[in-house]
Amino acid sequence: MKKVLIDSLKKYKWQIPIQIILMGLNIYILTIPAAIIGNIIDLFYDIEANKQIIVNNTYYLLVICIVYLLNRLIWKYLETYISRGVERDIKSKLFQRFLKLKLQNIQSIKNGEIMSYFVKDTNEIRSTVYRIISHGARTFFTFIIAIYRMASGVNIYLTFAVMIPIIIASILLVKIKKYVEISFKKAQDKFTEMSEYIQESTDSVRTTKAYSCEGSQLKDFIRKNKLVRQSNNTVDVYSNLLSTCIQICFGMCYAISLLFGAKLVLDGKITVGELVTFNGYIGLFVNPVNWIPQIISRFKRAQIAYERLDKVFKLDVEKSNTKNNLKKEKLEGNIEITDLSFHYPGVLDKALENINIDVRKGKTLGIIGTIGSGKTTLMNLITRLYSIPNGKIKIDGRDINDIPIEVLRNNICYITQDNFLFSTTLKDNICLFKEEYEEDDIKESTKKAIVYEDIQHMPEGLKTVIGERGGDLSGGQRQRVAISRAFLKNSTILIFDDTFSALDNRTSEKLIENIRELSEEKTCIIISNKVSDVKHSNEIIVLDNGKIIERGIHEELINQKGIYHDFYEQQSTKEETGILA
Amino acid sequence: MKNQTLKRIAKMLKPQTKAIVIISILAIIINIGEVVKPYLIKLVIDNYLNNNIWQSGIMTVGIIGGIYIAIVLIGNILNFVITTATSMMGENVVYTMRNKLYKYIQYANIPFHDRTPSGTLFVRITSDVEDIITFFKDVITTIVKDIIMIIALAGMMIALDYRLAILCFLIIPLVLITSIIITKVSKKVREYSKHVKTKLNIFLAESIYGVKLIKIFNRQYEKEKECNKLCHEFWKSRIPTAFTEGMLVAMMYIFENLGVSLIVWVTANHIFGINLEVGVIYMFITYIKQIFSPINRIVENFETIQEATVSINKIYDILERKEYLEDFEKGIELEEIKGKIEFRNVWFAYEGENWILKNVSFTIEPGQSIALVGRTGSGKTTIINLINRFYEIQKGEILLDGVNIKDINLRYLRKNIGIILQDPFIFAKTIKDNIQLNEHLSDEELEDVIKLSSAEDFINSLPNGTAEIARERGSSFSAGQKQLLAFARIFAHNPSIFILDEATANIDTKTEESIQKSIDKISKEKTSIFIAHRLSTIVGVDKIIVLNNGEIIEQGSHNELVNKSEGYYSKLYNAYYSSLTV
Repeated sequence: MKKVLIDSLKKYKWQIPIQIILMGLNIYILTIPAAIIGNIIDLFYDIEANKQIIVNNTYYLLVICIVYLLNRLIWKYLETYISRGVERDIKSKLFQRFLKLKLQNIQSIKNGEIMSYFVKDTNEIRSTVYRIISHGARTFFTFIIAIYRMASGVNIYLTFAVMIPIIIASILLVKIKKYVEISFKKAQDKFTEMSEYIQESTDSVRTTKAYSCEGSQLKDFIRKNKLVRQSNNTVDVYSNLLSTCIQICFGMCYAISLLFGAKLVLDGKITVGELVTFNGYIGLFVNPVNWIPQIISRFKRAQIAYERLDKVFKLDVEKSNTKNNLKKEKLEGNIEITDLSFHYPGVLDKALENINIDVRKGKTLGIIGTIGSGKTTLMNLITRLYSIPNGKIKIDGRDINDIPIEVLRNNICYITQDNFLFSTTLKDNICLFKEEYEEDDIKESTKKAIVYEDIQHMPEGLKTVIGERGGDLSGGQRQRVAISRAFLKNSTILIFDDTFSALDNRTSEKLIENIRELSEEKTCIIISNKVSDVKHSNEIIVLDNGKIIERGIHEELINQKGIYHDFYEQQSTKEETGILA
Repeated sequence: MKNQTLKRIAKMLKPQTKAIVIISILAIIINIGEVVKPYLIKLVIDNYLNNNIWQSGIMTVGIIGGIYIAIVLIGNILNFVITTATSMMGENVVYTMRNKLYKYIQYANIPFHDRTPSGTLFVRITSDVEDIITFFKDVITTIVKDIIMIIALAGMMIALDYRLAILCFLIIPLVLITSIIITKVSKKVREYSKHVKTKLNIFLAESIYGVKLIKIFNRQYEKEKECNKLCHEFWKSRIPTAFTEGMLVAMMYIFENLGVSLIVWVTANHIFGINLEVGVIYMFITYIKQIFSPINRIVENFETIQEATVSINKIYDILERKEYLEDFEKGIELEEIKGKIEFRNVWFAYEGENWILKNVSFTIEPGQSIALVGRTGSGKTTIINLINRFYEIQKGEILLDGVNIKDINLRYLRKNIGIILQDPFIFAKTIKDNIQLNEHLSDEELEDVIKLSSAEDFINSLPNGTAEIARERGSSFSAGQKQLLAFARIFAHNPSIFILDEATANIDTKTEESIQKSIDKISKEKTSIFIAHRLSTIVGVDKIIVLNNGEIIEQGSHNELVNKSEGYYSKLYNAYYSSLTV
C-alpha cells in the first residue's frame, strides 16, 4: 500500500508543488484588495488632490480580481487533478491486487466489506490528500502571509491583540469538534438502526398483518424514531454551539481592532485606511480556522483507511506465470486424486476426507451429494482456487502445484453453480470479454447449450444487455448462457457444477446429450443433485460430509440400495410434486 | 410550484407557524445588529478619528466599542437560538412525518403493497424525509434570514445615498444570471460524474461477486483493463467540477470588487454630484460586500427547495390516499369462533374483469380439514388471501360461522386465522420475540409452545436458545426451520382456523417429521386449510378441492375423487403412481 501511494504521489511530483505555490499566491492575492481599499480610504481625505490615484486604484483592484480568477481556476484544476488522480490510481491498483488474491482470502471477507474498500476507503485517502494539500497549505499560508502583512503593514501590537481570540477559536475548535463528531457518529448509528427496522417492516407486511401486529410494530418504530430525533438534536446543539463560539471570537477580533485601532489612530501610529485594511485581513482567517480541526481529524481517518487497504495489499496472492509460450500449453486431461483431505482454515470439520479419484481422458465422472457435501470444494481444489499440499492432485501425472495457474485454468472449463452473469451483453457474457471468438462459433455454442432460440427472441439477440429491458433472464436461461461458455471454450477438462438445477427434464436431457458429444475426447465432471443428470457417467461417486460413501455405475448403485437409491426414489416423487404444485 | 405543492408545504408548516414568526422576528433583530455594526465603525471614523478625539459629549469610542461587543454577543446568542430552534423544528416535522408514513405503511392494505415496491417505501421514509430536514435547516433558517438581510442592507444603502445605491443594485442582475448559469452547469457536470461513478461501482460490485468466474476463465487482464478505463473516465468526469466550483466563488469575488470600484469611482468623480464622508464610503463598501453572499445563497438553495418539494410531493402522494388504509375499528367481534367457513359464489379479480376466482362456492365445517389442489395460478393462494381479507372480493360473500367476514372486525378476524407461508418471515429479533410477536408469553408458556411445535431440538441447538437473535430475515435458518418457528407462532396465538402453504423447498427428513407432527396436532382440533404439495397431506384431509383457472372443478374426499375415472384428480394420482413404477 505504501508503495502504491508513493508511486501515485510521485506521478504528480510537479503538480503538487505547483499547486502549493499557487495556494500561497492565492492567499497573497487575497490580501491585496484589503490593502487597496484601506489606501483608497486614506486617499479620500483629500479627494481633489488624489482623484487620479484613486481611480487608478480601482483599476488595479479589478486587475487583481482577474488574476485571482485565473489563479483560482488553475489551482482548483490541479487540486481535482491530483486528488482524484490519486483516488483513481489506488482504485486501479487495488483492483489489480484484488484479482490476484487467493480465493480463500477473498471469501474470508464479506462482499460488502470489499466494496467499501473501493468506495469508502479510497475516498478517505482522496479526501485526505485534498484536505492536506489544499486546506493545509491555505491555512499555513494564511497564518504566515496575513500575520506578516498585519504586523509589517499595520501594527505589530494590534496584530498580537487580535491573534488572541483567533487562537482561542482554533483551540476551541480542535477540542470541541471531537465531541461533535462523536455525537454525529452516534446519530448515524441510530439512523442506520432505524433504516434497518424500516427495511424489515416493509418486507414483512404480510406477516405483520396476518398476526395483527401493526400497533406493536408502530410502537417500536416510534421509539427508534425518537432516538434518531434526540441524537440529531444533540448534534445540532453541539455544532451550533461551536460555531457560535467561533463567531463570537471573530466578533471580538473586530471589537479589539475597533477599540485598540482607534486608539492607535488617535495616537497617530496608524491611519484610518490602515485600520480598514487590518479589518480586511481579519476576515481572511475565518475559513482556515474552521479547517484546522478537519485537517487534524483527517489524519486519523486516513490512517484507518490506509491500514484497512494495507491489509488487502498484504494478503497472499496467487503465483502467476506470465510467459506467453507457457499459456498455450495443452494438457491431456487425466485427473488423478489420491488420499485428498482438506479443511477450510479455522474450521475443525474436514470439508473433504480421503478422496481417491481417477478420471481419464474421454471419460465422464458424475458426482452426487447434498448441499455441503464437499462437491464444490473438490472442484475449487482441482482449479487451484484453494491451495493444497503437493502430491494430492495430479493431471497427466504432473502435480497441479507444478502446473502454472494460467495453463491449468485455460485447460479447464469450470461452469459454476451460481448462475451469475455480468450486466453486459449476452455475447460478452458468453465470451467473457475476449474478442477472439467468431460470431458463428458463439452462435453454434448457444445452439448446443439450447439457448439459441431464447436469445433469438430477445430484442437485440446476442447484443441484448442483461438486466436492461428485454434482458431479464430466467434462472434456466442464465444457466444455459453460462453453459454456452463450455461449448465455446476449447478446453480439455469440463466441469459442470450443478448447472442443470433450473432446467426442466427435457431440456437437461438434451443438454446432457450435447455435453456427452462434446466430451468424447475430453475429461468431463458432472456434479448434480439429480440422478438423471449423472446416470450415464462412466463412474458415479456419492459424496456425503466430505467422504465418498458409494461409487460405481448407475445400475450398480441402484442395486446397492444405498443413498443413491434413496435419491433416485425421492426424485421420482419430486417430479410428481411438480404436477401438483 | 403548483398550487397543490404550496398547500402541502403550508399544511406541513402550519403547526410551526408560531415558531416561524418568532424566528423571523429574531432574524430581523440579528440583521439590524449586522447592519448597525458598520455604522458604529463609520461613527468612530467620521465623528472621532477625523476630529482626533476619544470623547464627544457623553459618548466615547470606548462606549461605542462596548455597544459593538454587545451586538456581537446578543446577535450570536440569538443566532444560536434560531439555528437550534429551526433544526429542532425540522427534526420534529420529520419525526412526525416518519411516524405518519410508517403508520400508513403498516395500516395500508395488501393491494397497496402489491403496487408499491418495498424499496420505494424505504426511500420515501428515509431519504425523501431527510430532504425535508435539509429544507428546514438550509432553507427556512437561511432564506428568511437572507431575505431580511438583503432588505436591511438595501434599505441602509438607499438611506445613505439613493443614487449610489441604485447604481450598485445594477450589478445584482449580473450576479443572479452568473449564479444561475454556473449552478445549472455545475448540476449537469455533477450529474454526469455521478452517472459514471454509478457505472464504476456497479462494475466493481459485479467483479467482486463474480471473482471466481474471472479467475477460472483467466480474465484478470480484461477486467483490469475495464477497471482502468472506468476509473479514468470517472477521474475525467470530475475535472470540470473544478472549474464550476472555482468559477462561482471567483465570479462573486469579482462582482463584490466591481461594486466597490463602482462606489469609489463614482464618489471620486463626483458623478451626480455625489460627495460622501469617508465613513460613509467605508459603510457602502462593507454593505456591498455583504449583500452578494445572501443573494448567491438563495440561488444555490433554489435547487434544494426544488428537490425538497419533489420529495414532499412524493410523501404526500402516499399519505393523502386514504382509500388504501384498512379500518381496524369497525366491525363486530364474535363471542366464539367455531370455524365454519363458507364461500358463496365468490368472484375475485386483482384488476378489472380479469377474474382469478370465478363463482367459487364451498363449505368447510368446523374442525374439518381441506386441501386445495391445482396448478400454479389456479387460485389456491388467492383463496387464502381472501379469507383473512388481504383482498376484498368483488361479488358473492365469504362467511365465517354464518357471519359475512366484511362485518367482522379485521383485527379480530386475522387474530383467529393462523397462516404459515412457504417461506415464513423471521424478524431480526430474538427467537422468543419471533414466536410471541405481540402476545406476551411467560417462560413456561413459551416452553409449552415450543414443545407443541416440535421445535425444541432446533431451538436448543442454537447457542443462546430462545434468546438467540435471528439474523436479518432469518437467513441463517433453513426454510424448514423457519416453518417450525412459524408453527410455534401459531401455537402461541392459538387461532381458530389454521392455514398452511406447504413448503416445496428441500427440507431434511428430521425437520419434515417435526413439521408433520405439528400439522397433525393442529388439524385434529381446528378447521384447517392446506395448499398441499405432499401426497400424504392430500390423502389425509376430509375434503379435496381441485381448482383450475379459478374454478372449482372437483371436490370431495380422496376416495371419492380417485374413483372418478375421468376426473382431474384421479388422472394426477394415476400419473404419479405410474411414474414411480417406471
